[in-house]
Amino acid sequence: MTTQTDGQLTVKKYFTNIWDAVSSISKGMAITMGYVLKEKEVTLQYPEEKETLPKGTRMRLYNDVDDCIGCKACATACPVGCITIATEKRAVDAPEKKSSKGTAIKFDLTQYTIDKALCCFCGNCTTVCPTECLFHTTEFEYSTYNVQDLKIDYLSDEARSWKEKALKDRL
Amino acid sequence: MSVEFIGNDEKIKSELLTVNMGPQHPATHGVLRVEIKTDSEIVAEAIPHIGYLHRCMEKHCENADYRAIVPFVDRMDYLASMNMELGYAITIEKLASIAVPRRAEVIRVLVSELQRIASHLVAFGTYGIDIGAFTPFLYAFDQREKIISFFESISGGRLLYNYISIGGVSRDVSNDLIVGLEKFCAGFEDQLKMYDTLLTQNKIFIERTANVGVMDKDYCYDYGITGPVLRGAGVEWDLRKKKPYSIYNEFNFEVAVGKGLKGCVGDCWDRYYVRMVEMEQSVKIIKQALVKLREEGGEFTTKVPRVIKVPVGEIYMRTECPKGELGYHIISDGKKGPYRFKVKSPCFTNVSALGEIAPGMMIADLVATIGSLDIVLGEVDR
Repeated sequence: MTTQTDGQLTVKKYFTNIWDAVSSISKGMAITMGYVLKEKEVTLQYPEEKETLPKGTRMRLYNDVDDCIGCKACATACPVGCITIATEKRAVDAPEKKSSKGTAIKFDLTQYTIDKALCCFCGNCTTVCPTECLFHTTEFEYSTYNVQDLKIDYLSDEARSWKEKALKDRL
Repeated sequence: MSVEFIGNDEKIKSELLTVNMGPQHPATHGVLRVEIKTDSEIVAEAIPHIGYLHRCMEKHCENADYRAIVPFVDRMDYLASMNMELGYAITIEKLASIAVPRRAEVIRVLVSELQRIASHLVAFGTYGIDIGAFTPFLYAFDQREKIISFFESISGGRLLYNYISIGGVSRDVSNDLIVGLEKFCAGFEDQLKMYDTLLTQNKIFIERTANVGVMDKDYCYDYGITGPVLRGAGVEWDLRKKKPYSIYNEFNFEVAVGKGLKGCVGDCWDRYYVRMVEMEQSVKIIKQALVKLREEGGEFTTKVPRVIKVPVGEIYMRTECPKGELGYHIISDGKKGPYRFKVKSPCFTNVSALGEIAPGMMIADLVATIGSLDIVLGEVDR
Protein backbone atom coordinates (compact mmCIF):
# COMPACT_ATOMS: atom_id res chain seq x y z
CA MET A 1 0.00 0.00 0.00
CA THR A 2 3.05 2.26 0.03
CA THR A 3 2.75 4.89 -2.66
CA GLN A 4 5.45 7.19 -3.88
CA THR A 5 4.16 10.56 -5.05
CA ASP A 6 7.53 12.28 -5.26
CA GLY A 7 7.57 12.66 -9.01
CA GLN A 8 10.62 13.26 -11.15
CA LEU A 9 13.83 14.23 -9.44
CA THR A 10 15.22 17.31 -11.12
CA VAL A 11 18.60 18.93 -10.57
CA LYS A 12 16.93 21.84 -8.80
CA LYS A 13 14.99 19.53 -6.50
CA TYR A 14 18.14 17.55 -5.76
CA PHE A 15 19.90 20.61 -4.44
CA THR A 16 16.83 21.97 -2.59
CA ASN A 17 16.57 18.64 -0.78
CA ILE A 18 20.19 18.90 0.35
CA TRP A 19 19.66 22.50 1.42
CA ASP A 20 16.48 21.60 3.33
CA ALA A 21 18.23 18.77 5.15
CA VAL A 22 21.25 20.87 6.09
CA SER A 23 19.21 23.86 7.24
CA SER A 24 16.66 21.86 9.25
CA ILE A 25 19.42 19.87 10.96
CA SER A 26 21.35 23.00 11.82
CA LYS A 27 18.18 24.52 13.31
CA GLY A 28 17.85 21.42 15.50
CA MET A 29 21.54 21.53 16.42
CA ALA A 30 21.16 25.17 17.45
CA ILE A 31 18.46 24.14 19.94
CA THR A 32 20.68 21.37 21.30
CA MET A 33 23.63 23.74 21.64
CA GLY A 34 21.38 26.18 23.48
CA TYR A 35 20.61 23.43 25.97
CA VAL A 36 24.29 22.60 26.40
CA LEU A 37 25.08 26.19 27.36
CA LYS A 38 21.94 27.12 29.31
CA GLU A 39 20.71 24.09 31.19
CA LYS A 40 22.20 22.95 34.46
CA GLU A 41 23.14 19.40 35.29
CA VAL A 42 20.12 17.33 36.31
CA THR A 43 21.70 13.97 37.14
CA LEU A 44 21.70 13.00 40.81
CA GLN A 45 24.71 10.99 42.00
CA TYR A 46 22.40 8.51 43.66
CA PRO A 47 23.98 6.91 46.72
CA GLU A 48 25.61 10.22 47.69
CA GLU A 49 22.74 12.52 46.74
CA LYS A 50 19.15 11.57 47.31
CA GLU A 51 15.91 13.02 46.09
CA THR A 52 13.41 13.83 48.82
CA LEU A 53 10.19 12.04 48.00
CA PRO A 54 6.91 13.92 48.45
CA LYS A 55 4.80 13.05 51.47
CA GLY A 56 2.46 10.19 50.78
CA THR A 57 4.68 8.38 48.29
CA ARG A 58 3.72 4.73 48.36
CA MET A 59 6.85 2.86 49.49
CA ARG A 60 7.30 0.33 52.31
CA LEU A 61 4.20 -0.18 54.43
CA TYR A 62 4.33 0.41 58.14
CA ASN A 63 1.81 -0.85 60.65
CA ASP A 64 1.65 0.62 64.12
CA VAL A 65 0.71 -2.66 65.82
CA ASP A 66 -0.18 -1.02 69.14
CA ASP A 67 -2.92 0.91 67.36
CA CYS A 68 -4.20 -1.98 65.22
CA ILE A 69 -7.62 -3.37 66.15
CA GLY A 70 -7.20 -6.57 64.13
CA CYS A 71 -10.25 -6.00 61.93
CA LYS A 72 -8.60 -7.65 58.89
CA ALA A 73 -10.02 -5.01 56.52
CA CYS A 74 -6.58 -4.55 54.96
CA ALA A 75 -6.17 -8.27 54.29
CA THR A 76 -9.59 -8.38 52.59
CA ALA A 77 -8.93 -5.29 50.49
CA CYS A 78 -5.53 -6.46 49.27
CA PRO A 79 -5.77 -7.51 45.59
CA VAL A 80 -2.80 -9.88 45.81
CA GLY A 81 -3.34 -11.23 49.32
CA CYS A 82 0.06 -10.40 50.80
CA ILE A 83 -1.17 -9.52 54.30
CA THR A 84 -1.45 -12.30 56.88
CA ILE A 85 -3.15 -11.54 60.17
CA ALA A 86 -3.86 -13.82 63.10
CA THR A 87 -5.77 -12.59 66.13
CA GLU A 88 -6.74 -13.88 69.52
CA LYS A 89 -9.77 -12.68 71.43
CA ARG A 90 -8.82 -10.55 74.41
CA ALA A 91 -9.63 -12.03 77.78
CA VAL A 92 -12.69 -10.53 79.50
CA ASP A 93 -10.73 -9.58 82.63
CA ALA A 94 -7.83 -8.02 80.68
CA PRO A 95 -7.39 -4.23 81.06
CA GLU A 96 -9.32 -2.17 78.51
CA LYS A 97 -7.28 -1.00 75.54
CA LYS A 98 -8.24 1.69 73.05
CA SER A 99 -6.79 2.78 69.74
CA SER A 100 -5.76 6.39 69.08
CA LYS A 101 -9.18 6.99 67.46
CA GLY A 102 -11.04 5.71 70.49
CA THR A 103 -12.09 2.33 69.13
CA ALA A 104 -11.94 -0.43 71.70
CA ILE A 105 -9.38 -3.11 70.88
CA LYS A 106 -11.10 -6.45 71.32
CA PHE A 107 -8.53 -8.62 69.58
CA ASP A 108 -4.85 -9.13 70.29
CA LEU A 109 -2.57 -9.61 67.31
CA THR A 110 -0.58 -12.79 67.33
CA GLN A 111 0.73 -12.37 63.80
CA TYR A 112 0.91 -9.43 61.40
CA THR A 113 3.03 -10.18 58.35
CA ILE A 114 3.22 -8.41 55.02
CA ASP A 115 5.07 -10.09 52.16
CA LYS A 116 6.71 -7.10 50.49
CA ALA A 117 7.86 -9.29 47.63
CA LEU A 118 4.20 -9.89 46.71
CA CYS A 119 2.91 -6.41 47.50
CA CYS A 120 1.86 -4.32 44.48
CA PHE A 121 2.02 -0.96 46.32
CA CYS A 122 -1.52 0.01 45.34
CA GLY A 123 -2.46 1.47 48.72
CA ASN A 124 -5.90 -0.17 48.90
CA CYS A 125 -5.13 -1.49 52.38
CA THR A 126 -4.32 1.96 53.73
CA THR A 127 -7.55 3.56 52.49
CA VAL A 128 -9.76 0.99 54.25
CA CYS A 129 -7.88 1.02 57.58
CA PRO A 130 -10.33 2.39 60.21
CA THR A 131 -7.67 3.51 62.71
CA GLU A 132 -5.18 4.67 60.04
CA CYS A 133 -2.48 2.63 61.73
CA LEU A 134 -1.40 1.09 58.42
CA PHE A 135 0.24 3.51 56.00
CA HIS A 136 2.95 3.82 53.39
CA THR A 137 6.30 5.33 54.30
CA THR A 138 8.85 6.92 51.97
CA GLU A 139 11.43 4.26 52.88
CA PHE A 140 12.46 2.44 49.71
CA GLU A 141 15.97 1.12 50.40
CA TYR A 142 15.26 -2.29 51.89
CA SER A 143 16.50 -4.81 49.35
CA THR A 144 17.66 -8.12 50.79
CA TYR A 145 19.77 -11.04 49.64
CA ASN A 146 17.04 -13.52 50.45
CA VAL A 147 13.45 -13.14 49.22
CA GLN A 148 12.19 -14.66 52.48
CA ASP A 149 13.58 -11.66 54.37
CA LEU A 150 11.05 -9.43 52.62
CA LYS A 151 8.29 -11.01 54.70
CA ILE A 152 8.08 -8.32 57.32
CA ASP A 153 6.80 -9.29 60.75
CA TYR A 154 5.46 -6.06 62.25
CA LEU A 155 5.36 -7.51 65.76
CA SER A 156 9.13 -7.98 65.78
CA ASP A 157 11.43 -5.55 67.58
CA GLU A 158 13.12 -4.55 64.33
CA ALA A 159 9.84 -3.40 62.74
CA ARG A 160 8.82 -1.61 65.94
CA SER A 161 12.05 0.38 65.86
CA TRP A 162 10.94 2.04 62.55
CA LYS A 163 8.03 3.71 64.33
CA GLU A 164 9.51 7.14 64.99
CA LYS A 165 10.76 7.60 61.44
CA ALA A 166 7.62 6.14 59.89
CA LEU A 167 5.17 8.38 61.75
CA LYS A 168 6.74 11.42 60.07
CA ASP A 169 5.61 10.08 56.68
CA ARG A 170 1.99 9.66 57.67
CA LEU A 171 -0.34 11.86 55.64
CA MET B 1 0.97 -12.13 -3.08
CA SER B 2 3.59 -12.73 -5.72
CA VAL B 3 7.18 -12.15 -4.80
CA GLU B 4 9.82 -11.18 -7.33
CA PHE B 5 13.05 -12.94 -6.62
CA ILE B 6 16.34 -11.25 -7.23
CA GLY B 7 18.04 -14.23 -8.77
CA ASN B 8 16.22 -15.45 -11.85
CA ASP B 9 19.09 -17.68 -12.77
CA GLU B 10 18.02 -21.28 -12.29
CA LYS B 11 21.41 -22.24 -10.93
CA ILE B 12 21.06 -19.78 -8.06
CA LYS B 13 18.22 -20.92 -5.93
CA SER B 14 16.66 -17.96 -4.14
CA GLU B 15 14.17 -18.13 -1.34
CA LEU B 16 12.65 -15.86 1.24
CA LEU B 17 14.62 -15.39 4.43
CA THR B 18 12.70 -15.49 7.69
CA VAL B 19 13.85 -12.95 10.23
CA ASN B 20 12.45 -12.58 13.71
CA MET B 21 12.16 -8.97 14.77
CA GLY B 22 11.65 -9.10 18.50
CA PRO B 23 10.56 -10.05 21.13
CA GLN B 24 13.74 -8.37 22.36
CA HIS B 25 14.14 -5.55 19.87
CA PRO B 26 14.30 -1.85 20.69
CA ALA B 27 12.01 -0.85 17.81
CA THR B 28 9.10 -3.10 18.73
CA HIS B 29 8.31 -1.10 21.87
CA GLY B 30 8.12 -4.00 24.25
CA VAL B 31 7.81 -7.68 23.56
CA LEU B 32 6.15 -7.75 20.16
CA ARG B 33 7.60 -10.34 17.80
CA VAL B 34 7.21 -9.70 14.11
CA GLU B 35 8.04 -12.67 11.95
CA ILE B 36 9.28 -11.14 8.71
CA LYS B 37 9.83 -13.00 5.46
CA THR B 38 12.34 -10.86 3.63
CA ASP B 39 13.44 -10.63 0.06
CA SER B 40 16.70 -8.78 0.63
CA GLU B 41 15.58 -5.45 2.14
CA ILE B 42 11.96 -5.80 1.07
CA VAL B 43 9.39 -7.29 3.41
CA ALA B 44 7.37 -9.99 1.67
CA GLU B 45 5.28 -10.92 4.67
CA ALA B 46 5.10 -9.75 8.25
CA ILE B 47 3.19 -11.64 10.92
CA PRO B 48 2.89 -10.00 14.34
CA HIS B 49 3.05 -12.51 17.19
CA ILE B 50 1.71 -11.39 20.51
CA GLY B 51 1.26 -12.93 23.94
CA TYR B 52 4.66 -12.43 25.55
CA LEU B 53 3.21 -10.14 28.20
CA HIS B 54 0.00 -12.03 28.87
CA ARG B 55 -0.78 -11.83 32.58
CA CYS B 56 -4.33 -13.24 32.74
CA MET B 57 -5.50 -9.80 33.76
CA GLU B 58 -9.14 -10.40 32.88
CA LYS B 59 -9.30 -13.60 34.92
CA HIS B 60 -7.58 -11.92 37.85
CA CYS B 61 -10.21 -9.18 37.76
CA GLU B 62 -13.03 -11.72 37.86
CA ASN B 63 -11.62 -13.03 41.14
CA ALA B 64 -11.14 -9.62 42.76
CA ASP B 65 -13.76 -7.28 44.16
CA TYR B 66 -14.64 -4.06 42.33
CA ARG B 67 -12.25 -1.88 44.30
CA ALA B 68 -9.32 -4.24 43.99
CA ILE B 69 -9.62 -4.22 40.18
CA VAL B 70 -8.28 -0.65 39.88
CA PRO B 71 -4.62 -1.69 40.48
CA PHE B 72 -5.03 -4.37 37.81
CA VAL B 73 -6.38 -2.03 35.12
CA ASP B 74 -3.47 0.31 35.94
CA ARG B 75 -1.08 -2.30 34.70
CA MET B 76 -2.66 -2.65 31.26
CA ASP B 77 -1.37 0.44 29.53
CA TYR B 78 1.33 1.40 31.99
CA LEU B 79 2.07 4.61 30.08
CA ALA B 80 -1.50 5.85 30.48
CA SER B 81 -2.68 4.43 33.80
CA MET B 82 -4.95 7.38 34.58
CA ASN B 83 -6.98 6.89 31.41
CA MET B 84 -7.33 3.18 32.14
CA GLU B 85 -8.63 3.97 35.63
CA LEU B 86 -11.00 6.64 34.36
CA GLY B 87 -12.60 4.24 31.88
CA TYR B 88 -13.05 1.58 34.53
CA ALA B 89 -14.38 3.98 37.16
CA ILE B 90 -17.05 5.51 34.92
CA THR B 91 -18.13 2.04 33.78
CA ILE B 92 -18.76 0.85 37.32
CA GLU B 93 -20.31 4.17 38.35
CA LYS B 94 -22.81 3.91 35.52
CA LEU B 95 -23.64 0.29 36.33
CA ALA B 96 -24.03 0.93 40.06
CA SER B 97 -25.50 4.46 39.58
CA ILE B 98 -22.97 6.24 41.77
CA ALA B 99 -22.93 10.03 41.49
CA VAL B 100 -19.54 11.72 41.30
CA PRO B 101 -18.91 15.18 42.82
CA ARG B 102 -18.08 17.96 40.38
CA ARG B 103 -14.64 18.65 41.79
CA ALA B 104 -13.75 15.00 41.27
CA GLU B 105 -14.92 15.21 37.64
CA VAL B 106 -12.70 18.24 37.02
CA ILE B 107 -9.70 16.54 38.63
CA ARG B 108 -10.37 13.45 36.52
CA VAL B 109 -10.35 15.43 33.28
CA LEU B 110 -7.21 17.25 34.43
CA VAL B 111 -5.23 14.12 35.24
CA SER B 112 -6.36 12.19 32.19
CA GLU B 113 -5.32 15.03 29.88
CA LEU B 114 -1.97 15.30 31.64
CA GLN B 115 -1.60 11.58 31.19
CA ARG B 116 -2.42 11.93 27.50
CA ILE B 117 0.43 14.41 27.14
CA ALA B 118 2.77 12.09 29.06
CA SER B 119 1.81 9.15 26.85
CA HIS B 120 2.19 11.14 23.63
CA LEU B 121 5.57 12.43 24.83
CA VAL B 122 6.78 8.84 25.13
CA ALA B 123 5.37 8.12 21.67
CA PHE B 124 7.10 11.20 20.27
CA GLY B 125 10.42 10.49 21.97
CA THR B 126 10.64 6.82 21.12
CA TYR B 127 9.50 7.47 17.57
CA GLY B 128 12.47 9.80 17.20
CA ILE B 129 14.76 6.99 18.38
CA ASP B 130 13.18 4.57 15.90
CA ILE B 131 13.88 6.99 13.07
CA GLY B 132 17.39 7.77 14.30
CA ALA B 133 17.08 11.00 16.27
CA PHE B 134 18.04 10.46 19.88
CA THR B 135 17.92 14.02 21.24
CA PRO B 136 14.11 14.62 21.15
CA PHE B 137 13.69 11.63 23.46
CA LEU B 138 15.66 13.36 26.21
CA TYR B 139 13.67 16.58 25.93
CA ALA B 140 10.40 14.62 25.91
CA PHE B 141 11.34 12.75 29.06
CA ASP B 142 12.41 16.00 30.71
CA GLN B 143 8.86 17.29 30.30
CA ARG B 144 7.27 13.95 31.14
CA GLU B 145 9.20 13.94 34.41
CA LYS B 146 7.35 17.10 35.45
CA ILE B 147 3.97 15.45 34.84
CA ILE B 148 5.10 12.28 36.62
CA SER B 149 6.27 14.23 39.68
CA PHE B 150 2.89 15.97 39.80
CA PHE B 151 1.20 12.57 39.76
CA GLU B 152 3.64 11.39 42.41
CA SER B 153 2.63 14.16 44.77
CA ILE B 154 -1.10 13.68 44.27
CA SER B 155 -1.28 9.89 44.20
CA GLY B 156 1.95 8.53 45.68
CA GLY B 157 2.97 6.49 42.66
CA ARG B 158 5.11 7.39 39.69
CA LEU B 159 3.73 5.00 37.10
CA LEU B 160 0.86 2.99 38.58
CA TYR B 161 -1.26 5.51 40.41
CA ASN B 162 -4.44 3.83 41.72
CA TYR B 163 -5.66 7.42 41.95
CA ILE B 164 -9.12 7.47 40.34
CA SER B 165 -11.29 5.37 42.59
CA ILE B 166 -14.93 4.45 42.17
CA GLY B 167 -16.92 7.49 43.31
CA GLY B 168 -14.23 10.13 42.86
CA VAL B 169 -10.51 10.41 43.29
CA SER B 170 -8.43 9.23 46.23
CA ARG B 171 -6.71 12.51 47.21
CA ASP B 172 -7.37 16.18 46.67
CA VAL B 173 -5.22 18.52 44.54
CA SER B 174 -3.79 21.35 46.63
CA ASN B 175 -3.48 24.96 45.48
CA ASP B 176 0.32 24.82 45.38
CA LEU B 177 0.14 22.04 42.84
CA ILE B 178 -2.33 24.05 40.71
CA VAL B 179 0.16 26.93 40.60
CA GLY B 180 2.88 24.47 39.60
CA LEU B 181 0.72 23.11 36.80
CA GLU B 182 -0.03 26.59 35.45
CA LYS B 183 3.72 27.16 35.20
CA PHE B 184 4.14 23.83 33.47
CA CYS B 185 1.44 24.67 30.89
CA ALA B 186 3.10 27.97 29.99
CA GLY B 187 6.49 26.30 29.60
CA PHE B 188 5.15 23.34 27.70
CA GLU B 189 3.72 25.43 24.87
CA ASP B 190 7.21 26.74 24.12
CA GLN B 191 8.50 23.19 24.28
CA LEU B 192 5.96 22.09 21.67
CA LYS B 193 7.24 24.78 19.31
CA MET B 194 10.74 23.53 19.94
CA TYR B 195 9.74 19.96 19.10
CA ASP B 196 8.34 21.29 15.85
CA THR B 197 11.71 22.65 14.71
CA LEU B 198 13.65 19.80 16.27
CA LEU B 199 11.86 16.84 14.73
CA THR B 200 8.56 17.56 12.98
CA GLN B 201 10.02 19.85 10.30
CA ASN B 202 13.31 17.99 10.04
CA LYS B 203 13.92 17.03 6.42
CA ILE B 204 15.38 13.62 7.19
CA PHE B 205 12.47 12.83 9.49
CA ILE B 206 9.96 13.84 6.80
CA GLU B 207 11.76 11.71 4.21
CA ARG B 208 11.62 8.72 6.53
CA THR B 209 7.94 9.05 7.46
CA ALA B 210 6.00 10.82 4.69
CA ASN B 211 4.28 8.41 2.26
CA VAL B 212 5.32 5.46 4.42
CA GLY B 213 2.86 2.94 5.86
CA VAL B 214 -0.21 4.59 4.42
CA MET B 215 -3.46 3.54 6.10
CA ASP B 216 -6.40 5.18 4.41
CA LYS B 217 -9.89 5.69 5.75
CA ASP B 218 -11.43 2.47 4.43
CA TYR B 219 -8.53 0.40 5.66
CA CYS B 220 -8.97 1.83 9.18
CA TYR B 221 -12.72 1.14 9.08
CA ASP B 222 -12.09 -2.47 7.99
CA TYR B 223 -9.78 -3.18 10.89
CA GLY B 224 -11.67 -1.17 13.50
CA ILE B 225 -8.71 1.08 14.11
CA THR B 226 -9.28 3.95 16.52
CA GLY B 227 -7.41 6.80 18.13
CA PRO B 228 -4.63 8.87 16.56
CA VAL B 229 -4.16 6.28 13.81
CA LEU B 230 -7.78 6.73 12.65
CA ARG B 231 -7.59 10.50 13.02
CA GLY B 232 -4.34 10.43 11.07
CA ALA B 233 -6.31 8.92 8.19
CA GLY B 234 -8.44 12.05 8.08
CA VAL B 235 -11.46 10.87 10.06
CA GLU B 236 -12.69 13.32 12.65
CA TRP B 237 -13.63 10.79 15.32
CA ASP B 238 -12.91 11.53 18.93
CA LEU B 239 -15.13 10.15 21.69
CA ARG B 240 -14.42 13.20 23.84
CA LYS B 241 -16.23 15.23 21.19
CA LYS B 242 -18.63 12.74 19.58
CA LYS B 243 -19.88 10.88 22.64
CA PRO B 244 -18.71 12.97 25.61
CA TYR B 245 -18.15 11.13 28.86
CA SER B 246 -17.31 12.64 32.25
CA ILE B 247 -17.59 16.45 31.74
CA TYR B 248 -15.75 16.72 28.43
CA ASN B 249 -18.74 18.47 26.84
CA GLU B 250 -17.92 21.59 28.90
CA PHE B 251 -14.45 21.97 27.45
CA ASN B 252 -13.50 23.81 24.33
CA PHE B 253 -11.00 22.02 22.13
CA GLU B 254 -10.47 20.85 18.58
CA VAL B 255 -10.02 17.37 17.20
CA ALA B 256 -6.68 16.86 15.48
CA VAL B 257 -7.01 15.36 12.00
CA GLY B 258 -4.33 14.25 9.56
CA LYS B 259 -4.34 16.33 6.40
CA GLY B 260 -1.43 14.87 4.49
CA LEU B 261 0.70 17.98 4.79
CA LYS B 262 3.97 16.28 3.85
CA GLY B 263 2.77 13.29 1.87
CA CYS B 264 -0.55 11.57 1.41
CA VAL B 265 -3.29 11.37 4.04
CA GLY B 266 -2.80 8.57 6.56
CA ASP B 267 0.96 8.14 6.37
CA CYS B 268 3.31 7.79 9.34
CA TRP B 269 3.99 11.55 9.42
CA ASP B 270 0.27 12.28 9.71
CA ARG B 271 -0.20 9.87 12.59
CA TYR B 272 2.79 11.42 14.32
CA TYR B 273 1.52 14.94 13.67
CA VAL B 274 -1.94 14.16 15.06
CA ARG B 275 -0.27 13.32 18.38
CA MET B 276 1.64 16.59 18.39
CA VAL B 277 -1.54 18.60 17.76
CA GLU B 278 -3.36 16.57 20.39
CA MET B 279 -0.78 17.56 22.98
CA GLU B 280 -1.43 21.20 22.10
CA GLN B 281 -5.18 20.66 22.52
CA SER B 282 -4.64 18.81 25.81
CA VAL B 283 -2.78 21.83 27.19
CA LYS B 284 -5.82 23.89 26.21
CA ILE B 285 -8.12 21.54 28.13
CA ILE B 286 -5.79 21.52 31.16
CA LYS B 287 -5.81 25.32 31.30
CA GLN B 288 -9.62 25.35 31.31
CA ALA B 289 -9.69 22.58 33.91
CA LEU B 290 -7.35 24.53 36.20
CA VAL B 291 -9.67 27.55 36.06
CA LYS B 292 -12.62 25.29 36.90
CA LEU B 293 -10.66 23.64 39.70
CA ARG B 294 -10.01 26.98 41.39
CA GLU B 295 -13.73 27.77 41.29
CA GLU B 296 -15.07 24.38 42.35
CA GLY B 297 -15.00 23.65 46.03
CA GLY B 298 -16.53 20.73 47.79
CA GLU B 299 -15.75 17.08 48.11
CA PHE B 300 -13.36 15.16 45.91
CA THR B 301 -15.09 11.83 46.44
CA THR B 302 -18.47 10.45 47.44
CA LYS B 303 -18.80 8.06 50.33
CA VAL B 304 -18.75 4.61 48.82
CA PRO B 305 -19.25 1.46 50.93
CA ARG B 306 -16.19 -0.70 51.51
CA VAL B 307 -17.67 -3.46 49.38
CA ILE B 308 -19.43 -1.90 46.41
CA LYS B 309 -22.85 -3.32 45.65
CA VAL B 310 -23.32 -3.59 41.91
CA PRO B 311 -26.73 -4.73 40.66
CA VAL B 312 -27.11 -7.63 38.22
CA GLY B 313 -26.55 -6.33 34.72
CA GLU B 314 -24.28 -5.90 31.77
CA ILE B 315 -22.52 -2.78 30.50
CA TYR B 316 -20.16 -1.65 27.80
CA MET B 317 -18.51 1.75 28.09
CA ARG B 318 -15.76 3.21 25.98
CA THR B 319 -13.43 6.12 26.52
CA GLU B 320 -10.85 7.89 24.42
CA CYS B 321 -7.41 6.85 25.60
CA PRO B 322 -4.13 8.18 24.20
CA LYS B 323 -3.85 5.09 22.01
CA GLY B 324 -7.48 4.84 20.94
CA GLU B 325 -10.85 3.71 22.17
CA LEU B 326 -10.73 1.59 25.28
CA GLY B 327 -13.88 -0.33 26.09
CA TYR B 328 -14.87 -2.22 29.21
CA HIS B 329 -17.48 -4.93 28.97
CA ILE B 330 -18.54 -5.96 32.45
CA ILE B 331 -21.18 -8.51 33.40
CA SER B 332 -22.26 -8.41 37.00
CA ASP B 333 -24.12 -11.20 38.78
CA GLY B 334 -24.63 -9.17 41.94
CA LYS B 335 -21.69 -10.66 43.81
CA LYS B 336 -18.69 -8.73 45.13
CA GLY B 337 -16.73 -9.07 41.88
CA PRO B 338 -17.64 -9.11 38.19
CA TYR B 339 -18.84 -12.33 36.56
CA ARG B 340 -17.11 -11.46 33.30
CA PHE B 341 -14.56 -8.78 32.64
CA LYS B 342 -13.59 -8.03 29.06
CA VAL B 343 -11.42 -5.24 27.75
CA LYS B 344 -11.51 -3.95 24.19
CA SER B 345 -7.97 -2.80 23.71
CA PRO B 346 -7.11 -0.16 21.09
CA CYS B 347 -3.52 -1.34 20.64
CA PHE B 348 -4.63 -4.88 19.87
CA THR B 349 -6.69 -3.75 16.87
CA ASN B 350 -3.95 -1.37 15.77
CA VAL B 351 -1.25 -4.02 15.79
CA SER B 352 -3.49 -6.48 13.93
CA ALA B 353 -3.49 -4.12 10.94
CA LEU B 354 0.28 -4.39 10.61
CA GLY B 355 0.26 -7.69 8.73
CA GLU B 356 -1.58 -6.43 5.68
CA ILE B 357 0.21 -3.12 5.37
CA ALA B 358 3.74 -4.49 5.62
CA PRO B 359 4.30 -6.39 2.33
CA GLY B 360 6.36 -4.35 -0.11
CA MET B 361 7.96 -2.14 2.51
CA MET B 362 11.60 -1.84 3.41
CA ILE B 363 12.48 -3.23 6.85
CA ALA B 364 13.39 0.28 8.02
CA ASP B 365 9.93 1.49 6.94
CA LEU B 366 8.35 -1.31 8.96
CA VAL B 367 10.14 0.04 12.03
CA ALA B 368 8.76 3.50 11.24
CA THR B 369 5.24 2.06 10.86
CA ILE B 370 5.32 0.12 14.13
CA GLY B 371 6.54 3.25 15.90
CA SER B 372 3.78 5.38 14.41
CA LEU B 373 1.09 2.94 15.61
CA ASP B 374 2.28 3.60 19.18
CA ILE B 375 1.46 0.25 20.73
CA VAL B 376 1.94 -0.77 24.33
CA LEU B 377 2.25 -4.50 24.73
CA GLY B 378 0.87 -4.49 28.24
CA GLU B 379 -2.44 -3.50 26.74
CA VAL B 380 -2.26 -5.76 23.69
CA ASP B 381 -1.74 -8.91 25.75
CA ARG B 382 -3.39 -7.84 29.02
